[in-house]
Amino acid sequence: MQSLNAPFPFRFFIASALACTLLAGFARAEVPEPQGFFMGPLHDDVPATLSGARVVHPQELASLLEQGNAVLIDAASFPRKPENLPPEAIWKPAPHENIPGSIWIPGIGEGDIDKNIEAYFRERLSALTGSAFDHPLVFYCHPHCRASWNAAKRAIGYGYSNVIWFPEGAEGWRDAGHSLAAAEPEMPSRPSH
Amino acid sequence: MKRFGWAVLAGAVLFGGPALAQDDEAARAARWSDLAKEIFGGKPLQSGDAKIALEAPERAFDAALVPVSISVQNPADVKSIYLVIDGNPAPVAAHVTFGPAGDPKSLKLRVRVDQYTNMHAVEETKDGALYETHRFVKASGGCSAPSGSYAAAALADIGQMKLRVLDGPQAVNAREVQLLIRHPNFNGMQRDPQTQGFTPARFLKSVDISLNGENLLHLDSDISLAADPAITFSVPAQGKGKLVVTARDSDNAVFEHSFDLGEGRS
Repeated sequence: MQSLNAPFPFRFFIASALACTLLAGFARAEVPEPQGFFMGPLHDDVPATLSGARVVHPQELASLLEQGNAVLIDAASFPRKPENLPPEAIWKPAPHENIPGSIWIPGIGEGDIDKNIEAYFRERLSALTGSAFDHPLVFYCHPHCRASWNAAKRAIGYGYSNVIWFPEGAEGWRDAGHSLAAAEPEMPSRPSH
Repeated sequence: MKRFGWAVLAGAVLFGGPALAQDDEAARAARWSDLAKEIFGGKPLQSGDAKIALEAPERAFDAALVPVSISVQNPADVKSIYLVIDGNPAPVAAHVTFGPAGDPKSLKLRVRVDQYTNMHAVEETKDGALYETHRFVKASGGCSAPSGSYAAAALADIGQMKLRVLDGPQAVNAREVQLLIRHPNFNGMQRDPQTQGFTPARFLKSVDISLNGENLLHLDSDISLAADPAITFSVPAQGKGKLVVTARDSDNAVFEHSFDLGEGRS
């Protein structure tokens, strides 16, 4: 039984290993910072930098969090249920997990942010930082996720001067040996139209 | 102070890792137990280690196109196979029921994976028993990843199909056939790169395959199959004749193609 299946997957894995090597090379070719925000799909390659922000990797983030006062903001989006999913299909998004102590506000990383969400985002930033514009703010979502880049850039635009971007995201944090915790999203109480 | 730091570090190395792994494991087990209840209505699942095998890359490069391969030990006992991607919002990626002309020996699909997840393959036997096997896959973002090549204009060839016979020298009792269906399988979570808006969901709901008028397999699926669904299945080695494929999508479009399945290589 196994022998029949062996050649095809094997060939496939060689091909995909090759593709990975090639594409990893491409991925490292810089994605430039856009003028404004990333519009459109948010799951894609990200730039290495964000002007006006400090980029940190797991080790630096760990020591930053040890200092205790940084505000952690998860910009991951929320899964959208397709309206035409068959009634018998099971729709059951998995519990969202992020870095313990984070505030999760879906929608703050959209290229074209909803007005209600933006107002809520500004309000929350102000409350979380005690209106101190130099308070450290860390933004992240997933690997290859532009939502945190957009959200961090937005915060810089609002005047925050100590903005930190963590491109590896929740999965990168876990891969570095840290734990994640189940999280509930925060959103404006009045639904947007 | 310095010594304390080292002690913390050593503690993290010694205990942090395994403790974390256990937490993750417990969370994944709880998720599966929830899902299994909903999908199988509380029917008990037995370990399928000797019955069913599931192959998938441990770390997928493209989360929107993860190859999955399922094979069973006793094809004659199998009524249907489920592929469940625990971490996806619509976790039942595929349910394939085999007909009299079918051979459940092997099944390959390409799927989207939204986050690091366990994947389960479940075999339902003709006498109603359920056997499961699973595998952990590291991939994320497959559900919102853009369907690159699918501008609205590219929908012109939607529903076109190709059939490839993959038989090798070992194909004594059965041969493998790969069916490719041109279809974006939009899941409603992807954005159109031009308009920035969400592309409405449009996905394959079912695929029926028959051989000389006899049912070979029926596949139910929704938004977890990758764009341009590829279904690789077995047909009996002596199976030749007319293979008819009928695919239906969520817009109620019906795509039908028939292929002449010759002897050996085609």
